[in-house]
Amino acid sequence: MNENEKLVSENTPKTEEAAEKAELTAQPAETPAPVKRSAHNTAAAAAFNAAGEDVDVRRLKGEKRERKIKTNKIPYERKKHLYGYGFIALWFIGSLWLFVSPVITSLAYSLNRTILMDKADALAAGYTNAGIHLEWNNFAHYIKAFTADPDFPRLLVESIGEIIPQAIVIMIFSLFIAIMLNQKFRGRTLARAIFFLPVLIATGPIITVINGDMASQGISGATQFSSLFKTDLVSDLLQFVGIYNMSPKITQMIEEMTSNVLNLVWNSGIQILIFLSALQNIPPSAKEAANMEGATAWEFFWKITFPIISPMIMANLVYTIIDAFVSTDNDVMNLVLKQSRLGEYGYSAALAWTYFAIIGAILGVVVLIVNKFVYYENE
Amino acid sequence: MSQENIKNASDLARAGAMAADINGSSDEPSMDKKHYRVTNWGIIKNFRHYTPEERKHYSYIFWRRFGEGIWPIFRGLLIFGLAFVILYPIMYMISASLRPQADMHDPSIMWIPKTIRFDNFKDVWRAINYPNVLWSTIQLNVVASVLQVGACAVTGYGFARFKFKGKKALFALVLLQIIVPPQIIILPQFNLFRYFDIFGLLNALTGDTISFINTNFSMYIPAIFGNGIRGGLFIYLFRQFFRGLPKELEDAAYLDGCGPFKTFISVMVPNAASSFLTVFIFSIVWYWNDYFISSMFFSNSQTISLQVSGLATTIAVWLTGQPGIASDYMVWVEAGCLMAILPIIIMYIFLQKYFTEGIERAGLAN
Repeated sequence: MNENEKLVSENTPKTEEAAEKAELTAQPAETPAPVKRSAHNTAAAAAFNAAGEDVDVRRLKGEKRERKIKTNKIPYERKKHLYGYGFIALWFIGSLWLFVSPVITSLAYSLNRTILMDKADALAAGYTNAGIHLEWNNFAHYIKAFTADPDFPRLLVESIGEIIPQAIVIMIFSLFIAIMLNQKFRGRTLARAIFFLPVLIATGPIITVINGDMASQGISGATQFSSLFKTDLVSDLLQFVGIYNMSPKITQMIEEMTSNVLNLVWNSGIQILIFLSALQNIPPSAKEAANMEGATAWEFFWKITFPIISPMIMANLVYTIIDAFVSTDNDVMNLVLKQSRLGEYGYSAALAWTYFAIIGAILGVVVLIVNKFVYYENE
Repeated sequence: MSQENIKNASDLARAGAMAADINGSSDEPSMDKKHYRVTNWGIIKNFRHYTPEERKHYSYIFWRRFGEGIWPIFRGLLIFGLAFVILYPIMYMISASLRPQADMHDPSIMWIPKTIRFDNFKDVWRAINYPNVLWSTIQLNVVASVLQVGACAVTGYGFARFKFKGKKALFALVLLQIIVPPQIIILPQFNLFRYFDIFGLLNALTGDTISFINTNFSMYIPAIFGNGIRGGLFIYLFRQFFRGLPKELEDAAYLDGCGPFKTFISVMVPNAASSFLTVFIFSIVWYWNDYFISSMFFSNSQTISLQVSGLATTIAVWLTGQPGIASDYMVWVEAGCLMAILPIIIMYIFLQKYFTEGIERAGLAN
């Protein structure tokens, strides 16, 4: 390190020296008052030394004034900026190559006619290499999606209509479960382990098999579930509370929701996890203080728990909506994949982009609305 | 209640009782019962004699005690019921995988098969060449996850601790990566890897492009750049983890003369170990379960997820020599599913403690 420093400090100033000598000989009378400057400079030099920089403060032979500080490296702050770029460089290059460029290409696919060519065809058509080549076709894919496609508009509306209420139910449910799992009781570790199980399984192809099992069981399993969770118990409960026949629509909605409890539990693993970790951030002192003041559990939830975890509610909601839209059992996504398997790359890209634009718009609206209720501590 | 407001002795006694109740309820919850002078039943009986203020107070105590008594029972029932719902499909899967196919349609069999047979597992083991597939899946998963976690940690650290121009715009790119579904970019990515080329150099030099399809590189390359499966989410998580660590850690290392990268390796990484483990497990699970992206990059079904999604056909061909209807081979499919999730579940059981700890301590939140 020391040797290195010397090397560098000896190397760089040479040109400077020459330049300065030339300056000195040219204007010997006009050398500025040296004292103040040198004092200032040594202080600055000390500061730079403390920051780990190499500073050259040597005097030139036969020269009275002190030279300007010359640092061999870039100033500390700018160096830190550069390190920042260094840390994200790998990801950034990869993103340009594997994310940004595919996104743009896919947009181009959706606007063009796509022709897959092998090497010989490509050379014959005047391209240098094999691959997918494009021909402009004036938004025909987008027009086709809304006018000529028999399924797309219908599936689009259906999937949006399903996902938004489902996301809200998942949010409420997973928050409720997370609050329960956050309390102290015997067997909590086991309960948590079981509730995290869907996280391990539900993203894979096995969930398709499980869904198939549950649907195909018909007689044996499904009635067990329904007698536990669906018609009998739930409608009894509703009757008991006295809201059974308030409105047939509400009753129907609640019954649908409860009969769907399997799906609900299996789809909210990650949401429960995220809420649980958010709940850990509530300081125990808040709970104590609330107890002292005589707050009920209800008040504690709305006045302390809810504001603290509200940013996570937002993040979770966004995650839930995206996950539901993108999941492999979403009908629209399946349509997109079917088209791309048929070789209609351009059309499938157009469908995907339309779908994504609509998701984006919905997400934007949701974020705007929910953001009003979110409490940020730092502001 | 102030002293002037108390007019007679009975009021005083009541006020004393109230104070005792309040003390009992807040300071020492374990001694609740001794300190309360009134039982819940007493509150109900005397309710009409109370002044409005006392009513408010005692009804608070009543509901609190009532809730504390009844909530654990309710909670226990609910957790038990939901745990049952979660375990039910898995129990069914185990039960089904142990039967002969004929028993699937026998209405007299609910849970316990008449004859328990392990042949389904053996058949699947041989049909898909389980040890081979398992090994190649583990290899793919572990290498890709290690690369991915490393790259995402470095990037997340860069976003968490350094100021630089355009940081917000670049972080918006991370968020965009979380939001944009893989279905949109998978085709161009496929095209990239199928006709791999570096600015046309390879084509010019060797006369042809390289294909990475059906090689593990099609998974490793995105992972190296932190762009693998859910890479954006991992960068986001790491940024949150590192932001939560105290700054003094690094300042000490800087004063000792460490450069930023050395500081990251020797100070930050050990301190964020449990977070690393959490993200690593997530990454393994998602790579393990992924079959959409791998079905694009692998046409020869070399991962377990791909095998499971096409298991009915594989088994049918292996047993009879021709593809059949999936529902005729359900018991084998169930057995295959169990074999596919078993390694993940074993890993989860071993790492479960660190996993939940990591999530709790590092705070996915904020």
